[in-house]
Amino acid sequence: MNSTGTINTSHTHVLLIEDNPGDADLVRLRLIEGDSGSTFSSVNRLADGLASMAKEPPSVVLLDLNLPDSHGADTFRKVLEQAPGVPVVILSGQDDEVLAVKALHQGVQDYLVKGDITSNHLERAMRYAIERQALTRSLEMSRQQQLEFKNQFLSHVSHELRTPLTCIHQFVTILLDGLAGDINPEQRYHLGTVLNSVHQLRAMIRDLLEATRAESGKIRIEPRCIAIGDLIKQAASMMSATAKEKQVALEIGLDPRIPSVYADPDRVLQVLINLIDNGIKFTPSGGTVLVKACLAEADPSMVYVSVADTGRGIGPEAKALIFERLYQDPNSIDNRCAGLGLGLFISKELVELHGGRIWVASEIANGSTFSFTLPLYSLAKLLFPVITYEGQLRDAIVLVKVELTPLSNPPRTNWKDVCRQSLHTLHRCVYLDKDLVLPVMRNTDSNETFFVVASVDMERAEVMMKRIREQLEAGPGFRTAGVLKVSRSDVPLPSTGDSKSLKELVQTVAERITETVVLSLLSKPDPKVQTDA
Amino acid sequence: MEKSKILIIDDDPDLRRALKIRLRANNYETVQASDGYSAISVAQKEQPNLIILDLGLPAGDGFVVLERLQNSDTLSNIPVIVLTARDPQSNEQKTLQAGAAAFFQKPADNNELLDVIRATLPGTWPGTALPS
Repeated sequence: MNSTGTINTSHTHVLLIEDNPGDADLVRLRLIEGDSGSTFSSVNRLADGLASMAKEPPSVVLLDLNLPDSHGADTFRKVLEQAPGVPVVILSGQDDEVLAVKALHQGVQDYLVKGDITSNHLERAMRYAIERQALTRSLEMSRQQQLEFKNQFLSHVSHELRTPLTCIHQFVTILLDGLAGDINPEQRYHLGTVLNSVHQLRAMIRDLLEATRAESGKIRIEPRCIAIGDLIKQAASMMSATAKEKQVALEIGLDPRIPSVYADPDRVLQVLINLIDNGIKFTPSGGTVLVKACLAEADPSMVYVSVADTGRGIGPEAKALIFERLYQDPNSIDNRCAGLGLGLFISKELVELHGGRIWVASEIANGSTFSFTLPLYSLAKLLFPVITYEGQLRDAIVLVKVELTPLSNPPRTNWKDVCRQSLHTLHRCVYLDKDLVLPVMRNTDSNETFFVVASVDMERAEVMMKRIREQLEAGPGFRTAGVLKVSRSDVPLPSTGDSKSLKELVQTVAERITETVVLSLLSKPDPKVQTDA
Repeated sequence: MEKSKILIIDDDPDLRRALKIRLRANNYETVQASDGYSAISVAQKEQPNLIILDLGLPAGDGFVVLERLQNSDTLSNIPVIVLTARDPQSNEQKTLQAGAAAFFQKPADNNELLDVIRATLPGTWPGTALPS
């Protein structure tokens, strides 16, 4: 068997994790009987097993589920989590065979029932486990390669399609704008049709690339504090021409109390336009598309946005599939409604990347309502990962203010405006120190300010401030942009002595940061603030 | 008043022709270059007020051109608008960091492009309007 097998067992190292000495001896005996030439080590606690695997990954793990430091499903989950590439064979008792079968669905390769193990059994189970694991790995690798290839291919194709499309777009608009001489109304009408098709094609090329990205988890979002009402108004004004052309009323209903959300404005706009465009497409002339935003009653940490139309509605079968990639309602395909069937798939991916949810309520002939949720902005929530460590508040938290003043500074006049501006800056501009990704600062005619919250001591804060300064000064057009000021202030930490929860402590820090930011934006001199040289 | 001069750097002759028609209609003078190498010498000779730059170019791509422009004493103040078929997610920030004033993906909206040209032309561009 050794000489013909595809696996050279002389290199097989078996790790047995088993706390019962009798069972361990039995397995060892069976291995020796099998004379497979494999090496063997055994431990009786899961922690020791994990440590041994970290040090030297074995070829295969024989795993008892009930150990002194771990029981049942937890045991194999921890092993799979630590070493997803190592094949695991469970040694189960009669009583936990059901669990062992379940484990097979979660990545365990095989199981043997103790007391029923022969050396042949054991040998074969291990051999097949190793083979299957190798096969799974190579399948996964080739899947990744294919996905990567598809990405590159589509990115290339979309680039190549854009070049001739640009040319068509340019010359059609040159004709339409009369730059090549006068055109008559009929010619204008025909050229308008060409231009519409150009826009459709452009949207399809964009969606094609986006869908591929979504599939391979490559869509990036850059969330910040935004007013959802403004975005809805913007989306509605962008779609108003389309609605008018189709003679569909486009209406907005905003709850004035909705607070800011934490989301990527470009991406949310994309979702809104997608849903509104769909709504208009499937609504007959004289109908209405209504976009609303309000607080979600079921979940106070979310804002709820909906796009309702008075169109023909969606049947239950289509409803189940409508967010799938490439899905198109078979009843809805006529020329006016054609698309790639990617819009809702992309919208779903985008909403879920924000931590929200998207769904549809609809009845045939009674219109459809697409709804999605977005998380509310909360400084405390954003700060949490930065200023806590292992369930405790970090020891030192510093607030760094970066301020660019143009050389010709318009005087500030209205105090009320200054206040409003300050809050706006606060919401927009608290950057955390994780990757120190700074915004591009360039010449404008007004002050530009942002803040970095970092959990570092004073000495490291100096280093960080230097880095911020260098990074910004290396940016384009900075030489003439204005005066850059980088300053810092300590954030006084709440005492951890009293019995406050970590969440409450973070909330307190967030309030203090808000206070410091607002004070510093109102330009009140603060003696605690130190400016770098 | 003298017309502003715009240098179009793109390897697609049809697109250069189209941009020329569009820009002339808006009262700009245009000059052209079709590759990264000649782009710099044309820029040196013509001293344009603004540059429209494609990224995929023969003989030195758009990033090489941007770098050469930034490192030149006489050309580094000319605003550059990138107009490319490439994807913004992987190129927009990179071009802005490299010194471009704006990024447009092809096909771009004409009015938007013209607005940005007007806003970035010297005289309106605060960076070059400042006293030295």
